[in-house]
Amino acid sequence: DKTAALAATCNNCHGTNGVSVGPSMPSIGGLPEAYLRTVMMQWKSGERYSATMSRLIKGYSDQQIADLAKYFAAKPWVPQPQPVDAKILAQGKAASERCTTCHGDTGSQPDDPAETPQIHGQWAKYMELEMMKYRDNAVAMPHRRMRGNTQRLKEEDVAAVAQYYAAQQK
Amino acid sequence: AQTAPRAGGKKRVVVVGGGFGGATAAKYLKIGAPDYDVTLVERDKVFTSCPLSNEVISGEYPLSKLQVGYDGLIKRGINVVFDDATAVDPAKKTVRLKSGTTLNYDALVLSPGIDFNFAGIEGHSEAAANNELPHAYKAGPQTLLLHKQLAAMKDGGTFIITVPPGPFRCPPGPYERASQVAYYFKHKGMNKSKVLILDSNDSFSKIGLFQQAWKLQYPGMIEWVPGASGGKVVKVDAKTRTAYTDFDKFQGDVVNVIPPHHAGHIAKNTGLTNERGWCTVNMLTMESTVHPDIWVVGDSCVHGDLPVYGAPKSAHMANTQAKVAVGAIIAKLSGLPAPEPYFVNTCYSVTQPGYGFSVVHIYRVVDGKLVYATDAGGVSPVEAPAITRKLEAEYQVGWFKNIMADAFS
Ligand SMILES: Cc1cc2nc3c(=O)[nH]c(=O)nc-3n(C[C@H](O)[C@H](O)[C@H](O)COP(=O)(O)OP(=O)(O)OC[C@H]3O[C@@H](n4cnc5c(N)ncnc54)[C@H](O)[C@@H]3O)c2cc1C
Ligand code: HEC
Ligand code: HEC
Repeated sequence: DKTAALAATCNNCHGTNGVSVGPSMPSIGGLPEAYLRTVMMQWKSGERYSATMSRLIKGYSDQQIADLAKYFAAKPWVPQPQPVDAKILAQGKAASERCTTCHGDTGSQPDDPAETPQIHGQWAKYMELEMMKYRDNAVAMPHRRMRGNTQRLKEEDVAAVAQYYAAQQK
Repeated sequence: AQTAPRAGGKKRVVVVGGGFGGATAAKYLKIGAPDYDVTLVERDKVFTSCPLSNEVISGEYPLSKLQVGYDGLIKRGINVVFDDATAVDPAKKTVRLKSGTTLNYDALVLSPGIDFNFAGIEGHSEAAANNELPHAYKAGPQTLLLHKQLAAMKDGGTFIITVPPGPFRCPPGPYERASQVAYYFKHKGMNKSKVLILDSNDSFSKIGLFQQAWKLQYPGMIEWVPGASGGKVVKVDAKTRTAYTDFDKFQGDVVNVIPPHHAGHIAKNTGLTNERGWCTVNMLTMESTVHPDIWVVGDSCVHGDLPVYGAPKSAHMANTQAKVAVGAIIAKLSGLPAPEPYFVNTCYSVTQPGYGFSVVHIYRVVDGKLVYATDAGGVSPVEAPAITRKLEAEYQVGWFKNIMADAFS
């Protein structure tokens, strides 16, 4: 159908059905519909920084964005198996303490899915890059508390916490 | 007239060329119409990607990581035939293969990529390209050869890249390559070496971003001679590694001649090309304007909002064109009108590890015509926070892995 054809234009970056196989690119299949729509609309309005997505999404109408959000939200979330060594896992888990109020213990139970995406099994590389953005005030990511929390992480914990959430399959 | 389903038979689609366009077409045909008989004809058992091959030339990436076989497509139920398609008969709707087999089709997709016009440069030949003057513009042995030639250079030498008149495959390709070669010089401490780009054209893709990066990373190392300043190479001498323009001659330690090129031979021989050697297509469906029931996608076609912005010859574009062709084929074979097409292109370029940028093109249908969207897309901003370049360098690899999987698995 129409939306499937539209969504096929996303597959070459986000993977067939929104399941990414490239560690720097996020999986988007199975993310909450409201979250998907919000970030895309924020890129379109220029309210949200991105390196690539904002130039792309400006080419889609508000209706198409809503359709895409619905389409990808209906796909299953497929956590990517990303085994990590026990030491880093423990370091990441310890550092994730300040994250659990919003993301839950394993990243799969966001307190408010309309606003917060699940992050368990998301690509570690992608999450590390996202945290770089939240930690960099030059790009002013829109979510103030996410910025505050990631900025309070120790530099050496950033990759570890990303790998901790990436390793969670449930 | 619609093609009726064969008695007891399935609709047959043949795809020639298992590169970015053809592999994507075969896969999405099987997804969209599982009951079709889909045959992919490809001459090589292993596909080697051009994207990221400039990083193989500089030694940053192994060629093996750019290679993929056809098992993924075979598992999907596609008949993959390793053979050379030698002739198409548009009237009889058949494709002849080198082995002697003849395939019948209801719809044919051609995505044969490019072939070179060596005669377009005096003194050049396929043999010279395989030895002294590699193009490395089809990834494979020549990519490794060019890397070897670079690795044999001594400091103080010149690496020449000659660029043919556009349109050519991968518009930012030669300039990303120049950057990668300069990166090699710099990190090997070969600071007296130079890259000389002899260009037939007067501008190039992402020019502002490349020139900014060159100034920052390789001051004085890369020289670009546009066509208007005598950059167009008309003759080469393989023995002495010399490139001649109308006014001058340039001797290099390595001379990377990218010859003029055109649609793959099979498309040309089928009579699908215009006077410049590219296949004209219906912009909304990718069906040939010369012969019905043949769809041409990828580098072989001319496509896009031509007065404003012709679609670049990129893997990303080939991938989206293939998806559109699939939609149009399934509709036509079902007697339905073609669905609305969506065309998107993106291309990342990396000038040194951790420093990349991109261009995005979006096309839309307005009043039945395909137009380039000027309110979207465009190149990465020249003035951007440092993190932007770092992110886009990382995204290049993620993009690459996803597009390889989207086409081949
Ligand atoms: C150095 C370089 C860097 C690039 N970087 C990028 C990039 O970063 N991003 C991007 O989007 N694009 C990039 N490109 C461009 C990209 O490689 C092409 O646009 C893309 O490959 C086009 O796809 P295609 O299907 O038309 O052709 P191809 O991918 O070349 O596939 C054609 C296939 O058809 C087969 N074939 C041809 N004729 C026959 C026949 N008669 N019988 C059987 N088989 C046949 C060939 O063996 C080949 O496998 C780059 C290109 C180069 C040279
Ligand atoms: C050329 C590559 C490319 C294409 C095509 C692409 N994206 Fe993206 N996408 C990215 C990148 C890179 C990011 C990371 C954000 C950025 O741009 O900096 C991203 C991020 C996202 C995110 C945020 C995910 C998260 O977890 O927060 C969503 C949602 C998204 N893209 C949706 C889409 C949709 C829908 C399409 C198709 C209409 C699409 N993308 C096409 C490259 C792409
Ligand atoms: C106050 C609530 C809150 C806290 C605490 C919090 N987050 Fe978040 N997180 C969010 C929200 C909301 C988003 C989406 C923000 C947006 O739209 O930019 C988010 C986004 C993310 C993302 C990007 C996901 C994606 O798909 O793009 C990552 C990674 C992340 N958080 C990790 C963490 C880590 C690690 C911590 C602890 C250091 C943390 N978060 C603490 C609320 C929070």
